[in-house]
Amino acid sequence: MSAGNDAAGLAARERSLAVGTELEPALQATSNVQVFRYSAATWNTHRIHYDRDYAVAEGYPGVLVQSHLHGAFLARYCTEWAGAEGRLLELGLRVRRFAVAGETLSVTGVVRAVARLTDDRAEVSLELTETRGSDGEVCVTGAARIEIPAGWLAQAGEGDGAGLPGGGRRSA
Amino acid sequence: MPVDDALLTGLQAQLGIEHREELGEVSAVMIARYAAAVGETNPLYSDPDYARSRGHADIVAPPNLLAAVINWGPGAAYDRLREDGTEADTHLPGVPVAGVRVMGGGEEMTFARPVLAGTRVSRVTVLDDIGERSSNSGPMLVLRYRDRYRDGDGDLLLESVRTVLLR
Repeated sequence: MSAGNDAAGLAARERSLAVGTELEPALQATSNVQVFRYSAATWNTHRIHYDRDYAVAEGYPGVLVQSHLHGAFLARYCTEWAGAEGRLLELGLRVRRFAVAGETLSVTGVVRAVARLTDDRAEVSLELTETRGSDGEVCVTGAARIEIPAGWLAQAGEGDGAGLPGGGRRSA
Repeated sequence: MPVDDALLTGLQAQLGIEHREELGEVSAVMIARYAAAVGETNPLYSDPDYARSRGHADIVAPPNLLAAVINWGPGAAYDRLREDGTEADTHLPGVPVAGVRVMGGGEEMTFARPVLAGTRVSRVTVLDDIGERSSNSGPMLVLRYRDRYRDGDGDLLLESVRTVLLR
C-alpha cells in the first residue's frame, strides 16, 4: 500500500467519483512475523495462526491470516483512500477463502452508490474485494460506507467521469 | 453434539439477553502495537502531536481494533486452553464449549466515534437472531450477535454485528 500519510493518499485519489468508478488497487504483503504480532496484539491464541504443524494437520498449506487482520487490511484501504478529509462510517466483510501468511493480497474497490449529504459533504458506498496474489482467488468480500467532501463526486450530467481531465473536481 | 433441538432451545433462551462486560482501557501502547502489527503507517495511530493537529486529544485506534481483540484479560491457564489453543469463553453466549463446530460468517461494523488512547471501554453483547439452514453436512444454525462498545461516559464507540455459523 502507499504510505499512510494524507499527502500520499491525495495524489492517488480519484476526484470524479460516480457509480462504477474503480479505485486504485493496493497490494498488501503478509508474513509469519506479521500474523504472529497480530495474534499477540489481539491476544488471539488460536494455533491456526502460529503453529504450522497444526495448520497443516487441519488441511492448510501454512498458518492463516486472521479474519480480523483481513478486516484491518480493508479498513486500511478505506482510510488511506479517504485521507484526513474523509471518514469511514461502516465496514462489513466476509472471509470466503483462507490466506496463508506470506501471501500477497490485492485489495480493490468499486463505487456502488453515491449520495450528497449537504453542499459540502457526501457519502460513497464501496464494494471491496481482496484476492490472493498466488492464484487470483477471492479471499474476502466487503462493503464500506465513507463520508467524503462533496467535491470528490462527479458533477451532475458528467456521466461516470472517467477520462474527463479535470471533470468533477471541486470548483475554486 | 450436533445441531439439535437441545442446542436450539438453549440458544433461544439467550435471545435478547444483554451481557455486559467492562473490558478495560485502550492504552496508547495497545493502539501503537496493533497499528504496527497491521503495518499501518498513518501517524494518527502513533504520533500524539499529529493526532492533536487533526483535532484529537490523543492518538486514535485503527477502526477495527475494538472488534479484533480476542481477550481483554490475562487469558486462561494453559491447562484450561482447548486443543486448538483457544479459550473456553468464546464470547458467544449460549454456544456450548465443545461438540459444535463454530465458523465465522462475517462482521458488519459501524464506527460511531474515534477511540482515543486512554478510553475505558465496556461491551454489551446480545444474541439478536437465530436462523436455520441446511448444509451438506446436516442442519446449520446462523446466529447474529450484536456487540455495542461504549466509553466511560456511555457514548457509543462501535457497533458490530457478527454472523456465526454452527454445525
